[in-house]
Amino acid sequence: MLRFVVRRVLLMVPTLFIISALVYFIIDLPPGDCVTSQIDELLARGDPDAHGRAIELRQLYNLDDPLWQRYLEWVAGIFRWDFGLSCQDTVPVSELIGERMVLTLVMESATIIFIWTVSFVIGVYAATHQYQMGDYVASFVGFIGLAIPNFLLALVLLYVGKVYFGLSIGGLMDAEYIGQPTSWGKIVSVAEHLIIPVVVIGTSGTAGMIRRLRANLLDELQKQYVVTGRAKGLPPLKLLIKYPLRHAINPFVADIGGLLPDVISGSVIVSVVLSLPTTGPMLLGALKTQDVNLAATFLLFVATLTVIGMLISDLALAALDPRIRFGAKSEK
Amino acid sequence: MSTADLRYPRRTLWADYVRAAIGVVLCGTPLLLLEVDPWVAFFLAGGFLLFALFLVRTALRHRTRYLLAPDSLCADGPAGTLVEWARLDRLKLSYYSTKRDRADGWMQLSIGSAGGRVVKVDSSLEGFHDIVERAARAAEAGGVSLSESTRVNLRAMSIAVADREELA
Repeated sequence: MLRFVVRRVLLMVPTLFIISALVYFIIDLPPGDCVTSQIDELLARGDPDAHGRAIELRQLYNLDDPLWQRYLEWVAGIFRWDFGLSCQDTVPVSELIGERMVLTLVMESATIIFIWTVSFVIGVYAATHQYQMGDYVASFVGFIGLAIPNFLLALVLLYVGKVYFGLSIGGLMDAEYIGQPTSWGKIVSVAEHLIIPVVVIGTSGTAGMIRRLRANLLDELQKQYVVTGRAKGLPPLKLLIKYPLRHAINPFVADIGGLLPDVISGSVIVSVVLSLPTTGPMLLGALKTQDVNLAATFLLFVATLTVIGMLISDLALAALDPRIRFGAKSEK
Repeated sequence: MSTADLRYPRRTLWADYVRAAIGVVLCGTPLLLLEVDPWVAFFLAGGFLLFALFLVRTALRHRTRYLLAPDSLCADGPAGTLVEWARLDRLKLSYYSTKRDRADGWMQLSIGSAGGRVVKVDSSLEGFHDIVERAARAAEAGGVSLSESTRVNLRAMSIAVADREELA
């Protein structure tokens, strides 16, 4: 297992390095840079010093340096938690992303816990009660969840909340806590506001997981060893937990890695719709204004989470089911 | 059956040394040469410890020889131990792969006897198949319960073991 962990962790290093380089260079590819739009604005207003200001800003953001040099400086800064200056407000990226990163992590973690918990319970129930009312309801909810885009569900909930209940659903905390230091009241407020985004972002993931777990468990439940166990009089719960569930859960665990990027990318538009102070809306703004440092930092953060998610999923799977797949070629 | 003297091939050991060294350098260099944020330092230190542990494990394997005798398997080295086939009480055969399709992986055998320390050997060890076959026979004779994964992996190595009642 140690050899597996070492090889797996070693693979992460070039992966993250390549992703960071790709992200940094691709964001910079379109013509112009983050100063261009600011200068256009100044010129439109008839500012006589626009060109002087442009030179000043280019020097400030080191935009005249070659791209590879800016990239290496940005990478070196990561170790000091210094991601350079953001073009949007001329403040360090680390200051801009601080609370948003934490809120994003809280929201994504809550979403994943929601997905696992709900889909595990419903998936097992649907498989063990095949073709009964509960199974039909779970399947219906699953198909609805798969069919409705997250942002549409967010819009519907916003409308229903406002028109029928007089509630303002947007945001991730009450207005009085915005920009305030962490306090018990702020934590409670965030927890209350988390429910809607977590349900909205988690619904499609939950639906997919329910379908997968139900199908896997149904396959296992129809196998000979389960029939034998039943014939020998094993209690149904013991019989379910001891083998079929353990086997059916493997693809479920393998999906952990894929869930993180899905949840994060799915949450960007939802965050814009629900006005959530997470990384999504800021990333969108950074990409539009070619704020390379800010956008690349966000994307590296997402990539790191994805790679860590994949690592956790692979380690869990290796611990849970270290069996060979027939047909796979094994080395000596 | 005479005693067989088994070792890890040099090529495998050196590949592991290189992996450990790369990891130690990648995690250790920023810690030594750069001004590092405490949180980043925490993760780098974790990585450094992991790779350092792997380096030590590889060095131990380098200095260990495995003596496969009719009645035992002796790991003769700095952290040596002995597994007696007649008193075998643990056997686990795992398969690991770093690829998505789980191809190009390797097997790991963990065996122990009479509550003693566990011996773990990888499939790159010379004579690995003989050890697994001998351990499987001993497990079968001693009534050691085997997990489903172990059974599947044994079958993949063309080693048959009688099915025992596991559901009861």
